[in-house]
Amino acid sequence: MTAVPDAIVEQDVEQQSGPSDAAPAPAGTPAPDDSRRSRLHVGPIAGVIRWTLALGAALLIYAAFLAARGADPVEALRAMWDSAFGDSTGLGETLIRTAPLLLGALAVVVPARAGLFNIGGQGQMVMGAIGAVGMSFALDGNVAQPVTLVLVGLAGAAAGAAWSAIPALLRLTTNANEAITSLLLNYVAGLVLSWLVFERWKDPASLGQAFSEELDAKSRLPILWGERVHSGILLAVLAAFVIWWLLRSTAWGFRLGVLGGNPEAARRAGFRVEGLALAAMLVGGALAGVAGMVEVTGVEARLRPDMLAGYGYIAFLASWLARHHPLKSIVSSMALAAIAVGGFGLKISAGLSGAAVNVLMALVLLAVLGFARKKEV
Amino acid sequence: MLEAVLTGAVAGGTSILFPVVGETFTERSGVINLGTEGSMLAGALTAYIVGIESGSVWLGALAGAVAGAALALVHAFMVLTRGANQIATGLVVTFLGIGLTALFGQDYVGQGVNAFAAVPIPVLSDIPFIGPILFNHDPLTYIAIISGPLAWLVLFRTRFGLMVRAAGERPEVLVAYGMSATQIRYLATVLGGSLAGIGGAQLSTAFTLNWSENMTVGRGFVAVSLVIFAAWDPLKAIIGAYLFSGAIALQLQLQARGTDVSQYLLQAVPYLTVIVILAALSRHRAHDAPESLSRVF
Repeated sequence: MTAVPDAIVEQDVEQQSGPSDAAPAPAGTPAPDDSRRSRLHVGPIAGVIRWTLALGAALLIYAAFLAARGADPVEALRAMWDSAFGDSTGLGETLIRTAPLLLGALAVVVPARAGLFNIGGQGQMVMGAIGAVGMSFALDGNVAQPVTLVLVGLAGAAAGAAWSAIPALLRLTTNANEAITSLLLNYVAGLVLSWLVFERWKDPASLGQAFSEELDAKSRLPILWGERVHSGILLAVLAAFVIWWLLRSTAWGFRLGVLGGNPEAARRAGFRVEGLALAAMLVGGALAGVAGMVEVTGVEARLRPDMLAGYGYIAFLASWLARHHPLKSIVSSMALAAIAVGGFGLKISAGLSGAAVNVLMALVLLAVLGFARKKEV
Repeated sequence: MLEAVLTGAVAGGTSILFPVVGETFTERSGVINLGTEGSMLAGALTAYIVGIESGSVWLGALAGAVAGAALALVHAFMVLTRGANQIATGLVVTFLGIGLTALFGQDYVGQGVNAFAAVPIPVLSDIPFIGPILFNHDPLTYIAIISGPLAWLVLFRTRFGLMVRAAGERPEVLVAYGMSATQIRYLATVLGGSLAGIGGAQLSTAFTLNWSENMTVGRGFVAVSLVIFAAWDPLKAIIGAYLFSGAIALQLQLQARGTDVSQYLLQAVPYLTVIVILAALSRHRAHDAPESLSRVF
């Protein structure tokens, strides 16, 4: 048998990883027995080459799928590019999408620092949108706009945090895995949204298509640029910097990092481990809730059954694409937002399902998870 | 009404039971595959298309198994060969499955299906009450019910099963015998994906009888949760699968009979059931988990 003991393989990979710690192999060195691994000893330039190759391969495979579907891949990719970056409208749409995705990515980043998987961003976003709309209905336009927006935002954050508290508390009290429970709760949140939109909060004026009543003007985020680009993107970028600072420079962020790196060490250091884990999930849920609030007050202005569909999952991917780094999440969210917006182009020019862009996102992520980064344990 | 609920539970449980049994193998070997949801979708669409184009439902189910296995192979390669994070990769694989099935399934939305017909078992299906509940179903449902005990036999009474369990509990034992845990994990993951694919095939060609985007609505994720409920035991998996499908069937019957409760809230009950079950059992299950699994999960 050709089996290599796992322990040895793992050692190998430790040594080869990372642009920072690996010295470039001098030319002419005799190749070790496993030539594939030796090629992975990379310097900074080789790292860039690997990223480019991995992303290029993802694009190629995607093009092959499009061709297999009978579409002209070059034409389809151009249509995607045009609709995301082609003109100021496209760029605006990309920015509009970036706002909830970035907030949703941060909702994964914070719990991940504490070693927790928050896959419930989707449900937390939906609940945030519901909370925001509920608060707006309750205020009923009786309060000045700045106050209204703050209250609506807080309601969204609170609703998202409350939804994330469920998997967090289940984890702490019953040890039920938070990745699984938060994932299942996404479906529950979607059904709560359907219930409100089709029954409880249904706008009598919505005949065939169900939606809730339109938000009053005071509950709308101010427009920043053009007709649609709203100030949510500023809020999201601000949040990214705040989270970056929190995780990097505060004692709380340090404790989260210790907890995520070594729970036993955190416990022995006397940290309140349960409180930290709960706080990390709550902050994550609140961020996702704000994402839902931003989408409903900035774009939709009402609840619709398919609003935010898939955003939570794309945000999860954005967080992994950025290796859970808050500032890099800005770039990764924007990249995935652009691909998502490109889906419209694909739909219009090639008549392909908008969900087909999920293939490209998945391929990019596979390339990055498996090929463009060092092994994680 | 009880008869209708139980009949619906058995027919609807098939699409859950296959992936639960499959994921049991995968997790026993030390890999967790959230791509099960994607494998189910791939199986559902592939079986649907091949069933129509070839005219054979069985060929369709087989193709569904291959499609599910192909996605699981992606997961296995990423996780086992490239060392990527299991949870993240699983979700990405599901995302890939959603996208691919949306891309290739578009023209089949609302098309007629080549469906599995019910095969009543002679004599047994005539028994009042029990007959219609258990013995008047599509063939895949019978296979699913048998697959539970069969998987148990394979897992606990065969050499292959022993190797799968060793890969999950003590990979170094396999190494000592000159075998590779990685190879076994590859096999177990691909096997899990193929069973998830068959589950999807049953869903589209024997149960709902249509194809629509994202039609599994979390069944694959539920399957992964039920493996924990079943304590990685294929026999208990049967109970888990029918508990979930029973909740769905009950909810459908309540809807059909008209209740005051919103249908949307009723639809949430099966998911909540699974969450409650997980909460009730998780502490209990902690030491049943395969050793290697608890390291990644």
